[in-house]
This record gives sequence, structure tokens and C-alpha cells, in this order.
Amino acid sequence: MASFARSSLLRQTLAAPRSPFCKNVGVSQTVAFHASAKKQILPPLPQSVQGTMNDPAPVPETHPTHGSYHWSFERLVSVGLIPLTIAPFAAGSLNPVMDAVLCSLIVAHSHIGFQAAIVDYFPPQRVPKFRSLCNWLLRAFTLTTAVGLYEFETNDVGITEALRRMWTA
Amino acid sequence: MRSTMMRSPIAVGLGQNIQKRQVTSSPNTEDPNQILVQQRLRRPVAPHLSIYKPQITWIGSSLHRITGCALSGSLYLWATAYLASPAFGWHLESATMVASFGALPVAAKVLLKSTLALPFTYHSINGIRHLVWDTGRALTNPAIIKTGWAVVGLSVASAVGLALI
Amino acid sequence: MASLRTTSRLFAASRPMFRPAFARTYATVEPTPSENPKMKTFKVYRWNPDQPSEKPQMASYDLDLNKTGPMMLDALIRIKNELDPTLTFRRSCREGICGSCAMNIDGVNTLACLCRIPTDTKSESRIYPLPHTYVVKDLVPDLTHFYKQYKSIKPYLQRDTPTEDGLEFRQSPEDRKKLDGLYECILCACCSTSCPSYWWNSEEYLGPAILLQSFRWLADSRDEKTLERKAALDNSMSVYRCHTILNCTRTCPKGLNPGRAIAEVKKMLAV
Repeated sequence: MASFARSSLLRQTLAAPRSPFCKNVGVSQTVAFHASAKKQILPPLPQSVQGTMNDPAPVPETHPTHGSYHWSFERLVSVGLIPLTIAPFAAGSLNPVMDAVLCSLIVAHSHIGFQAAIVDYFPPQRVPKFRSLCNWLLRAFTLTTAVGLYEFETNDVGITEALRRMWTA
Repeated sequence: MRSTMMRSPIAVGLGQNIQKRQVTSSPNTEDPNQILVQQRLRRPVAPHLSIYKPQITWIGSSLHRITGCALSGSLYLWATAYLASPAFGWHLESATMVASFGALPVAAKVLLKSTLALPFTYHSINGIRHLVWDTGRALTNPAIIKTGWAVVGLSVASAVGLALI
Repeated sequence: MASLRTTSRLFAASRPMFRPAFARTYATVEPTPSENPKMKTFKVYRWNPDQPSEKPQMASYDLDLNKTGPMMLDALIRIKNELDPTLTFRRSCREGICGSCAMNIDGVNTLACLCRIPTDTKSESRIYPLPHTYVVKDLVPDLTHFYKQYKSIKPYLQRDTPTEDGLEFRQSPEDRKKLDGLYECILCACCSTSCPSYWWNSEEYLGPAILLQSFRWLADSRDEKTLERKAALDNSMSVYRCHTILNCTRTCPKGLNPGRAIAEVKKMLAV
């Protein structure tokens, strides 16, 4: 509250309210600021504050499936990927069962990763429709990827063997 | 305010200066609480990405996400295309892909391999760094900087190694 | 220095008997040209709420480092006193304990009072408000939401059972030691506004500073609401928008480690 009161006081004493810092003394030059350019990707909305200054920010609902369980699951998948990624390098290629496990872990890992990107960059209060579109697209693509990989594992040589052949081709 | 200031000190000293103060109530019926709300709506957002100093912390982290999205994105596109290939008559079986890749000149092979290998090695090695952090270890400023550059070096070296196989 | 004379003439012309308060400083800084002036350019972000339609601009000021104190805050105060009284910034303690002068200096968030002016006079110094904050004026950010978030984690001791002897809640030296590196936080918001995750999701993500404070109360042996505190954080936004980018630890002007505090919070929640 005090800030705008002060700024109007300042204007009275200065007697030169038109763009004070542009024509002011001591300023050798003012340069238009380019970083806040026209081409901003998803610029934030104008500032609005919920409630008064003395209210706490609302606390989101408890959701362990989106919180701690999700985080632990993500770490388990990532940890599981380490031996499964090194094994093909060490042993040529994997047997079909290990290959299937690797594929499912990769799909889970990718899905979680994309989901994190969507949650980060498309906040629901900013772009609700685009966010749900992205989420549905992701689900559809994860499904087609999983089915596609299944087809590849069953009808073709499997992902690690295919990569090995291609790498040595 | 200005008129009182223009008075000479003598006038003030002789008590000839009558201070006039503005009446505090004004005919303005605007809700004073709305002034701040209106002001907030016009505020600019301070520059961020464009002015923050490039540091291994956030540049490395953004590379982690970019490489991850690129790797998973190409897997998603390829697997979906493989699923749809019978309908469109594409040939994405391993035999045709290996044959077409094998027909490329060596330089193109190395280039293609390294563009695939570098994101993979970077994302993998940096992923291990992240998992170590999640246990609460190596979370000091010197360790963060050192491991960050170590990941860059290791991933480039191993990508070159992979590309030359 | 010629510029100073211009201002005084301006005031002299309009109000003969009135000298504004800041004009007093002109007397102390007489334009005595020094032998080897070390002129350094400071580019400062300017935006005036009285002209909201005008875009933010970078104003450029030249100061002689020989006549300026060693810290960035000294330079800013000198600019305000001698070159441009309209420049607006927050400052109070000038010794890194109030957190008022947090700003982005040469690309890194820090306290102006703890940041030395780089002595390299060839390169200019660029000063911005804290990144991705709403700007009140010039270098003054609006931290209302930041403080509201601080309030939302209940930053006070919550305890129902009194001690046996009815005296204060005591703590073993080991338990007290757990609070070292946490209680020193001055809430200057340098770390939170250096965090890209907080840039994109400051509405719901608490950010490094508030999460460090959360951990300060989770780690307190005297607090009895640990379960409630943990439950309040257990959702996708409050903590888990942290992707261990670690700009926070890198930038903290007090040398604290918000990144490690968040890692500890995640470990506490996971177990």
C-alpha cells in the first residue's frame, strides 16, 4: 500500500513527471528492453493475489499417488533401467523376457517424463484445455508405443537385438 | 503543498503563513482497495531465462529434459509408426532398417550414431547423478559443479566411443 | 558531474527557497575530478508504475569506482543520491541480514549489500529485479505471494503436550544441530526466484526458500505436527515440481543449501 503512496509523493516533489528517468540527468542513455519481447511463449497472466495479504496461500489437497508414491515409483523405474541398459552392452542382447521388462520400464519412464513436462509448462489455470489435450495425446501415444513395441518384440527381433544389428551394420 | 513551499522563510517566521492542508476526504468514491488490484494488473514480469547467467546447474538440467524428450519422442514416433506401418505400407522391420542403414556412407553412419548416442549417454549419466542426489549425497556447491562437468565430459567421451563402434 | 549542476539549476529556477532533502548530498560530493577515474557502467532495469504503458527499459549510469564503496548497494545508493533520485530499490541493513536488497546482479540472484562490484571497468554490470517476479517499480518486486506461501506452511512450533516440569521445550544438542543451516535463512527469495520450476509454477509450487523453511519445522524435534506437515506437502505441486536443478543452492547469498533441504523433505515423504 505504501509503495504507490510514495510514488505519487515523489512525483509531486520532482515537478518533472514525464518519464523521469528518460530525460533525467546522469543517465547517459536508456535502452529499450528487449528481453520482454513480443514473441513470448505463454507469458504469465497479469498479477492477481487471492485473498488478502495476510491469508496463507491455499494448500493443495493431499494426493500421495501424485506425490510421494509417484516420486518413489519414478525413482524405482529409473534405478531399474540402469542394469537393464548396461546388460545389453555387456552380454550382446537380452532374452525376450528381459527385453520386455526393459521396454515396459522405458515406456513407463517416458510417460512419467512427458507428464512432468506437461505439468511444468502448461498450468491448468493458464491453459486448461491445451493441458488436457496434451495429457490425452500423451496417453494415446503411450498406448500406441506400448502396442507397437509389443508387436516389434513378438514379430521382429526385439529392441536390443535390432539396435545391436543396426549399430554394427 | 507547493504554495506553502514557495513562501519565504520570513513570512513563515512572522506567522503570516497559513498552512493549508488538503481535506482528507475526497469526492472520489472509488474503493481504495481496488487501487492496488488495478496496479497489479499492469505490472510487468521481471526478465528471467534471457538474463539469468548460464550455469551448469540449470543449463545441465534443461539439457537433461531436452535429451530425455528427444529420446523418448523418437521412440514414441518410431514405435507408433511401426504399429501403423502395415496400414500405410511402410517398411520399418528391423531387416529393412538395418539394410538401409548399412547402405549409408561411413561418415553418415558415425554422424547418425553420435546424434543418437550423445543424448542417450548424457541423459543416462546425468540420470545417475540425479539418483545419487535423491539419496541426499553430493549436494554441495563444489560437488554439484564438479559432477556437472564430469557428466558432460563422460557423456561426450562415451558417445564418441559408441559412435565409433 | 555537469549533470548535477543541471538538476540544482532546475530546482533553483522553480523553487528559490526550497531545496529538496536529497539536495543536501550535493554539498558533500563536490565535483573534484579525480586523477585516474575508474569509470564503470551500470545498466539498471527501470519501470515506472506511473507510466504503465511504457515498456521496461535499461538505464545506464556511469560511476567512478574510486569514489564508490565496494559493494553493489553502495553503487545503487550513489546513483540514487547523485545521478537519478527516481531510481527505486529496497535496502535496509546493508549487511546481509534483512534480505531487502535481493536482486539479480550480473545474471545471478544475490543481495546487493553482499555483492562486490566487479573491478573490471571494461565490462558493464547489469542489475535486474528478482527474475520472474511482478515488478512494483524498478528493482522492487512484489513478494506478496511468496510471503503467503510462507504463511501456508505454518512456520511456527506446533505442540500440544506441555513439558513435565512446565518449563520451556528443551532439545538435545544433537537435535539442535539439525536446525543449523536452516534457521539462518532470511527469506530474501534469491533462491526461489532463481528456480526455473518456481518461475513456471509459483502459484502452487512452494519453491526452495519455503521448502527449506518447511524442512526446518519438519526437522525440529520439539514439533509434534510432523505428520500433518508431511501430509500438506504430499501432492504433485508443493514439493515435487522440484527437479533438482539446484540453482537455489548455487545462488544462496547466505551460503545455505535449499537443494539439500528439499532432498531431505523428499526422503522424509518417501519413507
